[in-house]
Amino acid sequence: MTAARLATEAITLEPLARQSAPATSMLSVANLSKSFGPIAALRDVSLDIAAGEIRGICGENGAGKSTLVKLLTGVYRPDGGSITVAGRPCIIATPRQAQELGIALVAQELSLCPDLSVEDNIWLGSLQVPFLHKKPELRRRAAEALVLLGAEHIALAAKVASLSMGERQLVEIARMLTRDARVLILDEPTATLSDVEIARIFAALLAVKREGRSIIYITHRLAEVYAICDRVTVLRNGELIATVELADVDRAGLIELMLGRPSDEMYPEETRDEGPPALVVESLTVPGGIADFSTIVRRGEILCIAGQVGSGATEIVTALAGLAHDATGRVAVDGRALILGSPLRAARRGIMFVSGDRAGEGVFRRLSIFDNLVATRLRDHAVFGFLRRGSLRTTAAALAKKIGIDRRRVRARADALSGGNQQKLAFGRCLDRGAGGILVMNEPTRGIDVGARAEIYRLMREFCAAGYALVLASSDLEEVLGVGDVVITLYRGRQVGRYRRGEATMHRIVADITHPVEAAT
Amino acid sequence: MKPLLADRTLRPFLLLIVIVAAIWLLDGGQGRFFTAATAFSVLQQFATVGPIALGLGLTMIIREFDLSVGGMMSLAGCVAVLSGVGSPPLGIAAAVLAGGIAGLCQGGIMVRLRLGSIGVTLGGLLTFGGIAYVVTGNLSIAYPRMDIAMAVNQKILGVLSLRSLIALAAFLIAAFVMARTRIGRDVYAIGSDRRAALVAGVPVGRIVVGIFALSGMLAALGGSLLSYSLATASGVALTDALVPATAAAIIGGVSLTGGKGTPIGIIGGVLVLSLLRAGLNAIGTQPSVQDIVTGGVLLIVALADAPDLSRRLFAVQVYRKRAFG
Repeated sequence: MTAARLATEAITLEPLARQSAPATSMLSVANLSKSFGPIAALRDVSLDIAAGEIRGICGENGAGKSTLVKLLTGVYRPDGGSITVAGRPCIIATPRQAQELGIALVAQELSLCPDLSVEDNIWLGSLQVPFLHKKPELRRRAAEALVLLGAEHIALAAKVASLSMGERQLVEIARMLTRDARVLILDEPTATLSDVEIARIFAALLAVKREGRSIIYITHRLAEVYAICDRVTVLRNGELIATVELADVDRAGLIELMLGRPSDEMYPEETRDEGPPALVVESLTVPGGIADFSTIVRRGEILCIAGQVGSGATEIVTALAGLAHDATGRVAVDGRALILGSPLRAARRGIMFVSGDRAGEGVFRRLSIFDNLVATRLRDHAVFGFLRRGSLRTTAAALAKKIGIDRRRVRARADALSGGNQQKLAFGRCLDRGAGGILVMNEPTRGIDVGARAEIYRLMREFCAAGYALVLASSDLEEVLGVGDVVITLYRGRQVGRYRRGEATMHRIVADITHPVEAAT
Repeated sequence: MKPLLADRTLRPFLLLIVIVAAIWLLDGGQGRFFTAATAFSVLQQFATVGPIALGLGLTMIIREFDLSVGGMMSLAGCVAVLSGVGSPPLGIAAAVLAGGIAGLCQGGIMVRLRLGSIGVTLGGLLTFGGIAYVVTGNLSIAYPRMDIAMAVNQKILGVLSLRSLIALAAFLIAAFVMARTRIGRDVYAIGSDRRAALVAGVPVGRIVVGIFALSGMLAALGGSLLSYSLATASGVALTDALVPATAAAIIGGVSLTGGKGTPIGIIGGVLVLSLLRAGLNAIGTQPSVQDIVTGGVLLIVALADAPDLSRRLFAVQVYRKRAFG
């Protein structure tokens, strides 16, 4: 369909099912492959999605889900394979072409402008809007889309800034409907939503399905797959493992399909002796993130908090680091109370934060390795505010050696390093800060290759040996099982289970973080 | 108080009422201030600052900043005076064209090279001012058409003039475009969240360039009319228009974080500034005190705009209580 046709053809909310029988194929991909350098992100994946079908796509991190989405929406171009939309073979080279074919993505990060009204947001960027845009016709069709989604309570004149996350999600879906999307792709749409809002989204999706449109539903939450999907496709390591009718597979079977990677010897032995409690957390609450979370972390111990996006694991570590302004609860460091809400206060008490977002919250990318390593200890190497370069140099050289970065490279800029080495810098910054440090980490190995991971795990153990207490939030379950002395599982802001090393199994943890009801029974 | 102050377009007009009342009280209720002559001088001031404040305000709405308006204003004045001896409208047209081209270049550089507007337009300010300086040879150029100078300042209906009418018309057109057209909506979308606007399909680059071209044209319009009315143009006199224009836009409800503000609000902001000046003059206040008062008004508006001000104040109290209570 060309842009011109799109512009002239009135895009209505007429059920598409009338044009095509329910069982016909809406979107079909055959042998789709995509590699980045030597790494195959997607290999020979074939899918066939019927009109009016809701297809779940499951897989661990790195299974190839997002690559598939980017191929379907024209962000990447495939190395091989073909895509057929409504019976017509096509090439999706740009996001614009994907839009014209009726493939629409509702990403986790929404594309709504907070200062504009709901109506304006629905029509924003549409080719059908005339110069004088406030046409009753457009308003009527925007309202119709909202009614179809069961969201007539959302006022068209309301500013998007005043809406809840769930309502924004619905507005975004309404926008896609007015653009005649035939295939809606939703990427973890419920990660940040409450139960009531999830129910609303589901009702809306079922309405879209009844129209004969297809939905690709990407999620980690198996409960949701069972609640809404017709069939589910499981990806693992870029390969299609199976596409199954949900009636034919139970949760244990689905988990079985998702897992199955051999675990290798990348995790060093943990230290055995129990240290004194370094960090006591009582009823920690961050609104919209985590509710009533309590735990104790001992010196020399690694506590892993396992959970998917939106589980609250991230909120726990950022709150401990003082980065959540609305966190409440009692936290004590070495028996002394710590008032939450200020990163500076937390740092003074020895809490150090290592983030997976290296560019945003980790290293100073434009400064040298040297400057990065000594950034937090300038005060120890200064006389009346004047820095002693010599003592800084020896310190930086020693730290570089400890974290395994060539001493001669310390003058290089941090962004010249690989992601793994950048993260080692962030850890190096926390080394040797006197006894009694507490390291809180949020997805510290996100986007880091296997070799650098092994070194980072070794560094973590060195911190333990030096008497640090470590808290690690992670959605990488292999990592959680590998490094955690204690593992806590979370589901949607609540603790599900707590395991000592050896008690936890991959199945147990996957069951916990994807579907707590199953875990309880 | 709070919900009234929250409406950004209404706010400057409420301020206007407060200021009138305050000046009336300061004046001891003598009413020396409320004359047609004062109203005329307020509107003349509006005609000078208004177009620049409008152009600058529009760039602020898309979360950019056009520092070059002062330089453009001087340059446009010279262009108009030099080319408009035979036909005054032609002079204005030439000046506005020059402003549009200059703005187009600045916007194009920003979008193409992905540069920030501060650096580029600061360069523009110096460049345009410099060109004006060279063209005039650092002398005032007299405009020989005294009839035109009289005509643009001729009183219409007692308080208006051709100059203030043209400024007002520019504002009304802008208000219509911003409120009623797709382009206006796209402008707000870009200021509100540029990434989201891009993802939704808004032609972001084209609109950013267009806004800078418009800002250049408006500055040129204001500058050329002012030079006509003074019957003179000079390279240096007008470059300090930036500060009042920025103040007017902010008082008028334009947010430095983008996406908020309306042309009507900016009218209010310009009027607040002009009225303060005229009113304080009328009751015999020194210019330095006038600046202090203007600064105070700006501070109040900035406070009202502070993101979740009440929460921050409250949060501080909570910490105090937790730590010491």
